[in-house]
Amino acid sequence: MYKIDKNVYAYRCPKCGQLHYPAPMRCKKCGYRRYPEQEIEPNFQKEGYKPWEKTPLKGSCKLLTYTRLWNLPIGFDQRYLDFGLVEFENGIRASGRLLVDKPKIGMKLNVRVEKIKEFYGKVCYGLQFVKP
Amino acid sequence: MRKVGVVGIGHTKFGNLSDYELVDIMAYASLNAMEDAGIDGGIDQVMVGNMGAGMLNHQTGIESALVSTLNLEPAMAELVSNGPASGSSAFKMGYMAIVSGMADVVLVTAGEQMRRITGWEATDFVATLSHPEVEYPYGLTLPAFAAMFTRAYMAKYGLTERQLSLISVKDHLNAEKNPFAHVQLPVTMEGIADSSHASVVNSYVSEPLRLYHMCPVSDGAASVVMCAMDGAARFKKKPVRIAGIGSATDTHCVHNRKDPLDLKAVRLAAETAYKMAGIGPKDISFAELHDAFVILELCLAEEVGFFKKGKAIEAIEKGETEVSGRLPINPSGGLKAKGHPVGATGISQIYELVKQLRGEAEKGRQVKNPKYGLAVNFGGFGNNVVATILAKE
Repeated sequence: MYKIDKNVYAYRCPKCGQLHYPAPMRCKKCGYRRYPEQEIEPNFQKEGYKPWEKTPLKGSCKLLTYTRLWNLPIGFDQRYLDFGLVEFENGIRASGRLLVDKPKIGMKLNVRVEKIKEFYGKVCYGLQFVKP
Repeated sequence: MRKVGVVGIGHTKFGNLSDYELVDIMAYASLNAMEDAGIDGGIDQVMVGNMGAGMLNHQTGIESALVSTLNLEPAMAELVSNGPASGSSAFKMGYMAIVSGMADVVLVTAGEQMRRITGWEATDFVATLSHPEVEYPYGLTLPAFAAMFTRAYMAKYGLTERQLSLISVKDHLNAEKNPFAHVQLPVTMEGIADSSHASVVNSYVSEPLRLYHMCPVSDGAASVVMCAMDGAARFKKKPVRIAGIGSATDTHCVHNRKDPLDLKAVRLAAETAYKMAGIGPKDISFAELHDAFVILELCLAEEVGFFKKGKAIEAIEKGETEVSGRLPINPSGGLKAKGHPVGATGISQIYELVKQLRGEAEKGRQVKNPKYGLAVNFGGFGNNVVATILAKE
């Protein structure tokens, strides 16, 4: 449930090139299957199977909408947290933490991957949107 | 295809029922529905709608527990879970059981108990509906998604926070007359929007949504008895016919929708229900729409075809959606004021449709001569939606 990799990835379908975030088990465009990176069933090393390319989510993006959440779920001790929904230049969209003083819909932002939470002693990383 | 109708309805008070066991709350609503139908047995199938008993009550198998406490063995029993649309999904499964011929009489009971845990925990519980990798770990909650949706809607259509409060005032006015409502407290525009202290009374939960733009956290249950129409004569009450049911899904991740303001599953579910009923939006006399956040009353009314996109607020400002208006919406008070025990809400909406179509609603909130009622139950943030149309025979 919690990512401990200090990268957040989009996944490219090796058959049609469609980008996905998060990783699907089938390409939304052409239906090509994605097998997990670790073997969970005998067909994992299927002959002719092309692995999906992992592309770190990085670079600039545009803010589509945002909120300041004052009523946080258990596990978050902050008074409030800001969230944004953004679109990257490659068309991928994502939700994440917003670290901007005066957010405005349409503003250009950069993305970075930082600690968002600690969970049972493990540091969990996620997307943060900041001013360029 | 067999025609199916509702012949009995039951409801508990919505609010804080944390002194009771969940199964007892559900049994109370069930017995009310059976009494309303004039039966004390003869149930072939029990369908239970619930979202979180395993997490909230540390109890699984509530469908079997309910059958046993109602002394309905050996009736078939299943649990149907579809987040906040669990109730309507259970109703749909009950309908399908009768249409298929597997059952003639089905009891559908839906309930939830959310007040035994803290508000922090309840917020987290509902947030587990979101994507476990790219949404939930960030601290994103359903109110946060609704707020981001609202912000985008405001930017596109010019809606204001004050206009949202108009919906809240209307819903509270209806709930005041509903004995089952969680919040039977009328609110005024002065109290929540137009005075200097309004921003304190009505503080932000997730900007731009404020406290009075959101439903309370509630406990409660509702229940219906449904039967094949050809066998309805033996029940005490005249059946209300199930005219149409539709449901549809959308992307789990909100960010993966082409248009963040497009509630496609709502539109598709309603279209399917209209087609099955052989009617259109103009034939609907009143509606119960899933206003967990008041923005949804507005947007669901647009998606089901009552108003053009961005125009519903004009109808609300003109009073068209009040009980005495052209198209009453949420005469029960809606989730906003009646309350939202998540798994129970779908059947509570059906309960209201039946009550209104029978002409049994309380004075001051009875819709005039209704013929068709529409309910829309919204699962997740619009990723699994059920629309139901009931008709007066």
